[in-house]
Amino acid sequence: MLTDLAFRLRSLFRRRAVESDMEAELRFHMERQIEKYLQSGLTPAEAARLTRLEFGGLEQVKEEHRDARGVSLIEMLARDVRFGFRTLRNNLGFTIVAMLTLALGIGANTAIFSVVYAAIIRPLPYYQPNRLITLSEVRPQEGESAEAGKRIWDCSYPDYVDWTRQSRSFQALAGFGGDGFILHGAGEPELVFGVQTTINFFSTLGVKPFLGRDFALGEDIAAGPKVAILSYGSWIRRFGGDPQIIGRSIQLDDKSVNVIGVLPREFEFAPRGNAEIWVPLHIEKDLATRRSLRWMPVIGRLAPAITQQQAQAEFNTVTAGLAAAYPQANGAVRVVMVPLRERIVGQVQPLLLILFGAVGFVLLIACANVTNLFLVRAAGRRREFRIRAALGAGRGRLISQLLVESMMLAAAGGALGLLFAEWGTLLLIAAIPENLLAFAPFLRHAHANLAVLAFLCAAVIFTGVAFGLAPALQIARGGEGETLKEETRMSSAGARTRLRGILVVAEIAFCLVLLIGSALMVKSLAALLHRDPGFDAKNLLVFGVNLPSTSYPNDPDAIRFDKEFASRVRSLPGIVGVTSNSVVPLSGGGASIRFLIEGQPVATGQEKECYIREVSTNYFPVMKIPRRAGRLFNDSEDSESAPRHIIVNEAWVKQYFHGQDPLGKRVKFTFSATEPYREIVGVVGNNAETGLDRPDEASLFLPFPQDTNSFINYIIRTDGNPANSVGALRTALRALDPQLVLIQPLTMEQIIAQSPSVFLRRYPSYLIGSFAALALVLAMVGLYGLISYSVAQRTRELGIRIALGARRQDVLRLVLGEGARLTMLGVVFGLAAAFGLTQLMKSLLFGVSTVDLGAFASVTVVLALVAIAACYIPARRAMTTDPAAALRYD
Amino acid sequence: MTDKRIDLPQGTLDLLILRTLALEPQHGWAISERIQQMSSEVLLIQQGSLYPALHRLERRGWVKAKWGTSENNRRARYYELTKTGRKQLERETDSWKKLAAAVARIIESV
Repeated sequence: MLTDLAFRLRSLFRRRAVESDMEAELRFHMERQIEKYLQSGLTPAEAARLTRLEFGGLEQVKEEHRDARGVSLIEMLARDVRFGFRTLRNNLGFTIVAMLTLALGIGANTAIFSVVYAAIIRPLPYYQPNRLITLSEVRPQEGESAEAGKRIWDCSYPDYVDWTRQSRSFQALAGFGGDGFILHGAGEPELVFGVQTTINFFSTLGVKPFLGRDFALGEDIAAGPKVAILSYGSWIRRFGGDPQIIGRSIQLDDKSVNVIGVLPREFEFAPRGNAEIWVPLHIEKDLATRRSLRWMPVIGRLAPAITQQQAQAEFNTVTAGLAAAYPQANGAVRVVMVPLRERIVGQVQPLLLILFGAVGFVLLIACANVTNLFLVRAAGRRREFRIRAALGAGRGRLISQLLVESMMLAAAGGALGLLFAEWGTLLLIAAIPENLLAFAPFLRHAHANLAVLAFLCAAVIFTGVAFGLAPALQIARGGEGETLKEETRMSSAGARTRLRGILVVAEIAFCLVLLIGSALMVKSLAALLHRDPGFDAKNLLVFGVNLPSTSYPNDPDAIRFDKEFASRVRSLPGIVGVTSNSVVPLSGGGASIRFLIEGQPVATGQEKECYIREVSTNYFPVMKIPRRAGRLFNDSEDSESAPRHIIVNEAWVKQYFHGQDPLGKRVKFTFSATEPYREIVGVVGNNAETGLDRPDEASLFLPFPQDTNSFINYIIRTDGNPANSVGALRTALRALDPQLVLIQPLTMEQIIAQSPSVFLRRYPSYLIGSFAALALVLAMVGLYGLISYSVAQRTRELGIRIALGARRQDVLRLVLGEGARLTMLGVVFGLAAAFGLTQLMKSLLFGVSTVDLGAFASVTVVLALVAIAACYIPARRAMTTDPAAALRYD
Repeated sequence: MTDKRIDLPQGTLDLLILRTLALEPQHGWAISERIQQMSSEVLLIQQGSLYPALHRLERRGWVKAKWGTSENNRRARYYELTKTGRKQLERETDSWKKLAAAVARIIESV
C-alpha cells in the first residue's frame, strides 16, 4: 500500500525523471534486441524492422507503461486539460456560444436556487426552529380543509391561557398581535408598525436581545411599567444606533415608554415582518374574557421528545374539555397545528417550486443545445480521433479527453453563470414589492453562499456530463474497426443525425411546456387585472388616520372629527368624494363577525360568520358600488341615535337567504348578550374584499356613526391623478389637529399592484415568460443548426435531385418537411407533458383552466411558425444549390 | 514463425517474471530472452507488454528496480525480487500447479 502511494507520488511529482527513465529503459531493450538480430546475420534495416514488429506500438507500450505506473489519472487529467484548453481556444466561436448558453442556463438556475434556499431550506433564525409549531383555532364554518387551517391563524386569549395551564406537550406557548403606534421624538411623528407579544415570546423563539434585556414578569399588565424592545433596523435608522438607548424613554401615541432592549441584527419574524417596536401584550378586560373572539396567533415550542402528533392528540383532549365547559364559544372549534416554517413560506413555496422547475427546463434545453454543438464538432473531429486511436490512444483515453473538454466548458459556463446568478438574484428580489418583501424577510438573505455554490457545482457536473457523454459514447461506439479513410459525405448522416434530431425534439417539447406555462400565467394575470372589483378603482387615494384615545375618548369625538375633516377635504380642489371604511378593500385584511338571523335558530357554536365593514354613510356612491335592493345609508336615518341598520351584499343574500328578499329581516351579533338586533335596509353589489382572486365573499356593512373606530381608513375620489392630492390632504389634516399623521397614503392602483393576489401572478408571469423566451431562442437555434447541418450534409444528394429535374419548390418542401417533422414530434410530446405539468401550477392560475384550449392552441401555432421560419433560412440555401458545384463538391 | 508459438494465458506473465527473477536480478530484455529460452521458444511474449507488467510488480512492491551496468557495458534497469515478491512467487506457483493439475485431470477424464 505504502509503496504503491510512494510510487504514484514519485510518478506524479518527478514526472520528467520518470518519463526519461522509461525512455532509456525501452531504448536499451530495443538496442539489445537489434544487436541480437545483427549477430544472427540480419541486415541492420531488417533487424530494426523485426524489433519494432516484435515490440508492438511504442506509443501504446508507453501508454500502458504509464497506466501500470498508476500515475495516469492525475497526469493524464492535466494533459487533457492542457489539450482541452488548446482545442477550446482554437474554436473560439464554438466555445463562446456554448459557454454563454451554459452560463445562462446555470446562472438562471443558481439564481432561482438562491431564492429557494433562502425561503425553503435555510433554517429560520431561532433556536431549534423545527420544534416551533403554530396553533390556530378553526371553526367548521371556516372550512374543514387543511387549506383553511393554513389560512387561519387565530386563537382566543382565554383559550390560550387554559392551554398554558392544561397542556404538557409544549415547553412554552406564546401569542402576539399586530399593532401600530405614532412614534414621536425621533424626527417627524410617524406611524411605525409594532407587535404586542406575551412576555415569553422571545424566550419561546429562543432569541435574546442584542442590547438590554427581554420582557419581564409584571410588564404585561396595564398598570405595570411601559417598556419596548426595538428591532435592530429601527435602532439604527431612527436612533442612529445609539448604545445609550437602553433606559431612554420614547413617545408611542400618547404614552411614554422605556426602551429596554434591541433585537439582534439577524432577528426576523416574517408574520410581522414590518414591525419595528415590540411591546408586551396588555390584555384589556374584553379580550381577557371574550372566549369567542379569536384574534391571537399562537406559537408553541414542543417539549423535549414530544412529536407534533402527540401534541395534537393531547390538544384534542384539551379542546374537548374546553368545548364541554364553554359550548357557546368553543362548541365546534378544532385546534390546527402547522409548523412555523410551513406557516411562513406556505404561500410562496408552490410558486418557488414551479419557478425552480421551469428554470430547470431552461437548463435542460441549454444542455441539449450544447450537446448538439458538441456532436457537430465531434463529427468534424472524427479524423482527429481516428488518427489518435491509430497512434495508440485507447478508447477510454479519447472518451475521458472529451469529457474533460466538456467539463472545462461547463466549469467556465458555471463561473460566468455565478456572476449572472448574483445579478439575477438581486433582480429577483428587487422585483418583489417592498410591502410584500417585509413579510418575507428571509428572501433578503438570497445570495451566493456555500449551499448555493454546492448547487452550482452540482449543476456544472450535471451539465458537463450531460453534454459531454453523447459525443463521447459515439466515439466509443464508432472507434473500433473503422479505418482512416474519410467517409463519403453521402453515408455519414445515420445515427449521429438521429441523436441530434431527438435532442431538438426534446428542446421543442420543453420549450412548448414553458411557453404554455407562461401563457397560462399571463392569461391569469390579465383575467385578474380585468376582473371587475365591484367598485371603480380609478382615481382613488387611500390613507389612514389614527385618533388617539386621549384626545378622542368617545364615539361622538370620532364622529365629530370625521364630519369636520370630510367637509374640509371636500372643499379642496380636485376632490370628488370623501368616504371611509374600517378595512380597505383589496388591502388583504379581513375582519369578520359571527351572527344570528332572527327566526333562524342554530345550534350553539354553529353561528354564521361573514366579513364586517364599518363604512361612511356615503361609501357606496363614492365607491360606485351599485344598489340592488332597498336603500343605501344616509346621515338622517342611520345616525348615532337612529335604530341600528345594516346593508348586506348579494353574496351574503345568496349564502344566508338563498336569494330570498332579506329586506326588513333582522340580524344580531353573538359576541355579547347585549347586542341589539339590526335591520337589513339594503342590498348592494358584490365587491372584492380580501383579494382579486377570491370568489365573491359575503359581507355586511355598518354605518360608521353606529359603530365608530379610532383608526379610520379614508378613501378619496379625485378627478385627476390621486397621488397629486397627498400634500393638500396632509396640510388639511394638520390644520385640523397638528398631532395627527396622514398614514401610508397609497392610490388604489398601487394597492392592487402590490396585493399578494396580483403579485403571485405577475411575478411568475414575468419569470416564466422570460424563461420561455430564452427557451424559444435556444430551441430555435438548435433546430436551425440541425437543419443547416443536414442541408450541408445533403448538398450532393440535393444537387443530384436538382440535376435529375426536381423543382426548387420540391427541395424547399423536402427541407422544410424535415424541420416540420421534428417540430411536430416536439409539439406532440410537449403538449402531452404540458397537460400533466400545468396541473402543478393550478394554485397560481386564476380564471383559466390548466388545459386552456386557447393558450395551448395559440402557443403551439406561434411555436410552429417560428420553427418554420428557423428552417426556412437553410431551406432557401438548399433551394439555390448549384447541381454542378454540388457534384464537384466531394 | 509465430505459428508455432502460443500466446500467454492471461495473468501468467507476472508469474513467469517472478520465477525468472528468483534466480538473479535481471534487466527487461534478459527477462524476455530467458522466458523464451526456458519455454523452448514456445511462449510468445509481446515484448512491449513486459514493461507495463514489470512496473505493475514494482508498484506492488514485489520487485525492486535499480540502474546497473549490463553485460555489454551499458546502463540498464535491473529488477530484483523482494521478500514479499518471493512469498508471492510461492503462492502463485502453488496455485498455478493446482490449476494446471485440475485442468489436466478434466481434459484427460473426458
